[in-house]
Amino acid sequence: MKRVAITGAGVITSFGDSPAALHSALSDGEKAAYRLEDCEAGVSACRQGGHIGSFQPETYLKGKPLRALDRTGRIVAAAAKLALENSGWTAEILCKHDVGLVLGTMFGSVHTISEFDRRGLTHGASYVSPMDFANTVLNAAAGQTAIWHNLRGINSTIACGATSGLMALGYAADLIRHGSQTALLAGGADEFCFEAFCGFDQAGLLCRCNGHSEFPVPFSAQRSGFALGEGAVLLMLEEWSAAVDRGAPILGEIRGHGSSYDPAANGECGPETIAQAMNSALYDSGIRAAEVSCISASANGSVFADRNEAMAIRATFNGSGDAVPVTAIKSMVGEALGASGALQTVALLQSLQTGVLPGIRGLEQPGPEIPALNLCRRKQDINAGFGLINSVGFDGNACSLMISV
Amino acid sequence: MNSVPSIVVTGLGMVTPIGTGREEFWNALIAGKCGFGPVQSFNTSGYSVHLGAEILDFEPKDHVVRLRTRVIGRSSQLAIAAARLALTDASLDLETIDRRRAGVCVGTTSGEPHFIERFDDRYVQGDIANAGDGLIRGYPCHVVPSHVAAELEFAGETMMIPTACAAGNYAIAHASDVLRAGRADIMLAGGADCFSRITYTGFARLGAIAPELCQPFDRNRKGMVPGEGAGFLLLERKDQAIARGARIYCEVAGYGLSCDAHHMTAAHPQGEGASRAMVMALKQSGVAAEDVDYISAHGTGTPTNDRLETIAMKKTFGELAYRIPVSSVKSMLGHTMGAASAIEAAVCALAITHQQIPPTMNLHEQDPECDLDFVPNQARKRKVKVAMNNAYAFGGNNSSLLFRASAA
Amino acid sequence: MELEVIKIKVKEAIQQVTGVDAAGISDSASYIDDLDLDSLAILEIAVAVESEFKFQATDEELSSIRTVEDTITLVKRRIFAEVA
Repeated sequence: MKRVAITGAGVITSFGDSPAALHSALSDGEKAAYRLEDCEAGVSACRQGGHIGSFQPETYLKGKPLRALDRTGRIVAAAAKLALENSGWTAEILCKHDVGLVLGTMFGSVHTISEFDRRGLTHGASYVSPMDFANTVLNAAAGQTAIWHNLRGINSTIACGATSGLMALGYAADLIRHGSQTALLAGGADEFCFEAFCGFDQAGLLCRCNGHSEFPVPFSAQRSGFALGEGAVLLMLEEWSAAVDRGAPILGEIRGHGSSYDPAANGECGPETIAQAMNSALYDSGIRAAEVSCISASANGSVFADRNEAMAIRATFNGSGDAVPVTAIKSMVGEALGASGALQTVALLQSLQTGVLPGIRGLEQPGPEIPALNLCRRKQDINAGFGLINSVGFDGNACSLMISV
Repeated sequence: MNSVPSIVVTGLGMVTPIGTGREEFWNALIAGKCGFGPVQSFNTSGYSVHLGAEILDFEPKDHVVRLRTRVIGRSSQLAIAAARLALTDASLDLETIDRRRAGVCVGTTSGEPHFIERFDDRYVQGDIANAGDGLIRGYPCHVVPSHVAAELEFAGETMMIPTACAAGNYAIAHASDVLRAGRADIMLAGGADCFSRITYTGFARLGAIAPELCQPFDRNRKGMVPGEGAGFLLLERKDQAIARGARIYCEVAGYGLSCDAHHMTAAHPQGEGASRAMVMALKQSGVAAEDVDYISAHGTGTPTNDRLETIAMKKTFGELAYRIPVSSVKSMLGHTMGAASAIEAAVCALAITHQQIPPTMNLHEQDPECDLDFVPNQARKRKVKVAMNNAYAFGGNNSSLLFRASAA
Repeated sequence: MELEVIKIKVKEAIQQVTGVDAAGISDSASYIDDLDLDSLAILEIAVAVESEFKFQATDEELSSIRTVEDTITLVKRRIFAEVA
């Protein structure tokens, strides 16, 4: 089996557009939320959200008209540009090599789909927008990004809800490990939009602010749900010896992954299912639990999911469970859905490289039902080595990915 | 490739506008039965076209046992039906398998559009406060494989690959990789899409829908006919299939996936990406071009697709292209979107099993620019050992899957 | 409606889709060769024009549009046909 090198990354987040800026802000404990205006929140009581207000597509995407791309397409194409630059893939080299793209997303753009449909309802079927229709398929952002950057290799879109980004990284890593691809951009994206916000609110999954304005804190006794974020994050993955041959910077490695599904059909992912994903990732990587330096938890302030994940970590790390430091960066970036797993991966990679793991912002007292774990309340020093990233969906999917530097 | 396990197809299940289940579906295909009619799911009086390929006799309660049919969307219902049919067809006793090593991989174009259509109806009426939780619990397309897994109590990898009209091929390709890597012991792989107002409206606006018939490769073809359906293949490693005495339809010999990186809704004018996918599939399978006995075409019936697809086949096969029979079952089923290439993969498996090729129906006057052997109007008995399944999608996604008769 | 108003509105629709400044678009500009547009963008402009002037072009009319002037002529024909 081939080895999977990580040779670069591009991030579009509310913490800035470089992995270093992202990690620095997370380590400082900077807050992600901005307070939503009443008109943005609609009928929801929730006022927390991680919208990237400052995103200017023209900063990254020059030379061609942008109208054809919706906002999701723009953040993905921008993240791709940054990842390609970061890993040294120029336009000239791309002409000669078929680089692929694997994008995880939960919604594609539910905003575009809804707007397209609503225009048909309000103006009549004849006056819908053809360009919007092209963006109503969930693989639109991946297709638009491939056109923009001339990416002619495999072009795949993975939709697994909140675990999409991490599943996409696992899918891409396996293509390289088993020899069918040598260079792939892989990661995930989802945009913050009214439709998604309204949907999560109606489903009772968003944090209830209860009069105070703090961003939801994973594992805390006061948690009541998550805050919706957004982002686009792509990593450049390459077959190891090909990366060495072209003199690429090797930032880290994907060692393995695993995923599982909880068929109990009540929506929540039970601790056994999450543990199964983690154990599969450990087994796939050939690594023992005691060798893991740090864990990036999926926890985002959800009442049941945070508890189930904590129980799964305790069960899997069994002994080393109270020693291996656990962070949860959704305490700052919120729940970015398809982008989350990739965002966690980039942040953890930076953490392993710098030796600094961000803390779980705002965590004072974990809930009494949360088993004893080494939850990092503040940033702390860690050893370089192996890092595990978890992604837990609110509908039964769980995924884990192992990286190393 | 020698140490890589062979992956085989041991079960087929489908729900389509011309038949449900392997036997009824195959008999309908060979008889040239078409499933077109005026759209019934919604009012098309504001549209310039009215033709669709809907499934008019589907009863979810006949297939969905564990989940509640009132809560899950139609695409999930169709998917569950096709998945159960594939399992029954494979004579697989679910009591004997490790559920943690049983996975589901599905392709789709729209997922569950009815939920977002209802959300939008309320939105324009100013009633969003009563939208309910359907946009999260019922709509996102990954609920389709989740519902199949929940219905069957599978706990392995569950994934949705929404690469639109090529999605079924992507799902089967990935499922075969999951099995080769030893991450699962059985995979249900397929595609599902229910009839969608959003999809119909978009294709109508593009001028892509035919007014009366789907006529792939015909000189007078005027477009595609949107449809709905679901198709699933049960895949497992060959040694395991043999050990349990399963009937083996064929092997999944290999695949090729590429991207045009050219245009969102129109294929590359020289068939470049499509040809690359075909070449990759041949190479990965170790199959020579002259060994391909049948091609199941994407063949939507639009003027552009059929012309460019012909160019791509000639680019790949050269003079050989004139000797390989090609047919488009969309001439009978219409375009079942994300289900299409999964159903067409089943067609390839059946062609190998029955040594017979389904026709391209409604082919009255062949387009001189589409001058290959498209098996016009009549099914044909022929040796079929290797079959290629091609599918193309928005975003320039190209896919080719190769199936090969399994050596005993 | 005056011809000048038709021209301005057509060019504004083109600007909306392409980002090209309406004032700089010549009547004789070819959508493909001069404005470098693909089929989707050309159709998007046509739909924006149909919506602005409240008519629906036939498939034949849509497929015969090559230049900005073609669009202006189509609008004129449709508007004055309704008046007549």
